[in-house]
Amino acid sequence: MEPLLQARGLVKRFGALTAVRGVNLALRPGEVLAFLGKNGAGKTTTVKMLSGLLLPDEGEVRLLGRDPFQDPKALRHLGAVLEGNRNVYWRLTPLENLVYFGVARGLRLKEAQKRALALLEAYGLREKAHTEVRHLSRGMQQKLALLQALIHDPEVLLLDEPTLGLDVETALLVRERIRALAQSGKAILLTTHQLEVAEALADRIAIIHRGEVVLEEEKGALLARFAGDHYVLELEGPVPEGALARLRALGVEGDGPFLFRGDGKALWRVLEALKPLPLKRVAKAEADLLEVFLKVVGHA
Amino acid sequence: MLDLFLAEFWRSLLYLRRYPLELLGAVVTLSLIFYFLFLGARFLAGPGAEFGGRLEAVLVGYLLWTFTLSAYNGLSFGLMEEAQTGTLEQVFLTPYGPIPLFLVRNLAGLLSQGLLVFLIALVLMALTGARLAFAPGVILPCLAVLLGGYGLGFAMGSLALLYKRVEQLLGLSQFLLLFLLQAPGTGPFALLPLAPGAALARRMLAEGAPLDPSALGLAFLNGLAYLGVGLFLFRRAVYRAKRLGLLHGY
Repeated sequence: MEPLLQARGLVKRFGALTAVRGVNLALRPGEVLAFLGKNGAGKTTTVKMLSGLLLPDEGEVRLLGRDPFQDPKALRHLGAVLEGNRNVYWRLTPLENLVYFGVARGLRLKEAQKRALALLEAYGLREKAHTEVRHLSRGMQQKLALLQALIHDPEVLLLDEPTLGLDVETALLVRERIRALAQSGKAILLTTHQLEVAEALADRIAIIHRGEVVLEEEKGALLARFAGDHYVLELEGPVPEGALARLRALGVEGDGPFLFRGDGKALWRVLEALKPLPLKRVAKAEADLLEVFLKVVGHA
Repeated sequence: MLDLFLAEFWRSLLYLRRYPLELLGAVVTLSLIFYFLFLGARFLAGPGAEFGGRLEAVLVGYLLWTFTLSAYNGLSFGLMEEAQTGTLEQVFLTPYGPIPLFLVRNLAGLLSQGLLVFLIALVLMALTGARLAFAPGVILPCLAVLLGGYGLGFAMGSLALLYKRVEQLLGLSQFLLLFLLQAPGTGPFALLPLAPGAALARRMLAEGAPLDPSALGLAFLNGLAYLGVGLFLFRRAVYRAKRLGLLHGY
């Protein structure tokens, strides 16, 4: 499938600092790419270049095959929630904001009104449609920022920290909606420090460190690769001295749950050593994104 | 584009309706400035002084100044406010491009500008006893002045986009604007921004002079030239702001 958004060899320098070095990214319909990195790694600089707000020193951005810097009409296909921005007018109501931004993004007035009402309804903001944004809670404002990015039904979404500062319930709702948007065919770039959000939503992970993309891979393959051949074992009761000695001889670590580093065949020897003690759980250990992130960023 | 104009127009009406005190504050402040100057001049001239037609001419100049002022500094204040409140980057994500959007925004703001000037005119006519002969044709030189005002506004907007804090410069340059609007519109002065249109409007409103087509042509030429210069500078500023990453932040 052709990427909707493609960046090739992006480089951005601010004086002596090279903030982004040769970043390549491709975003295809229906996928969520989690773009992760520490503060100052170059995430926001990259997002700004992808959205046509920051001109790269080298490289190019193509949004549905068009250059957003030369052809602003390409921006009709892009919606963005920008971190550190309010994204909406505080002196207007949610409905007014959505209608305004809908038209500013190329919708007809009537169409913008219709879509604004439908989005407010779908995201539980219909009741607050006529309340000035400055009187809304932080969570509602953040939800509205997302709706502002969705109002013109763009194919590509750049979401920089879309769940930051949301309460648990709203964060879950937003996560669910982002997943649904991807399923409906949108290409989504998600930038977040909340790794559990990235893990829950992403199809692919890209990690940027000191301006360079140091890893880009399918989420499933990445987590499996980092998990390796590790097994976790739990028993119903305490392990007698003799059995414990046998486990230690086989290289089993921990005091319950136990951790065994080895392949599936070797695991049978551990199970033999435990026989006939009642088992509670035997599972292949899984890496989480946090672990992957720390390892990658730590070694990069 | 018509929809964009309607949306911008509707937004400016919403602000007017929601924050009428801002308009009222501007009417009171700008009326008082002129009235105090008027009282000061009368005090200096002595109790029996009569200003004759000169009062009307000065008042027309002043009204044109208030009209041009909002065209001149509206964009800069808007850019500074949007950079501060964090909506500027969203505005730049428009597929229309920033320059057409800000041009339409200026056009849509004409109503609130016109209302402001109309209210100040009513207040000052009541306070000073001046009488203005309003001929509909006077709108044309005012439009020429407005074009130049927008041109200067885009030039100043370029600085606001790049440096954000230009309030002091805006404050100081308002007096330059006052000079431009009171300058004669002939000879070398015709090359100054705003001057030819302002001089024609002043003659029509204060002296009841008829609309002079050649003077009007000159006024429009002047206005369009300065608008072109302003847009060129703004386009350069947008490019530079995108290159240096200056769209975000204050």
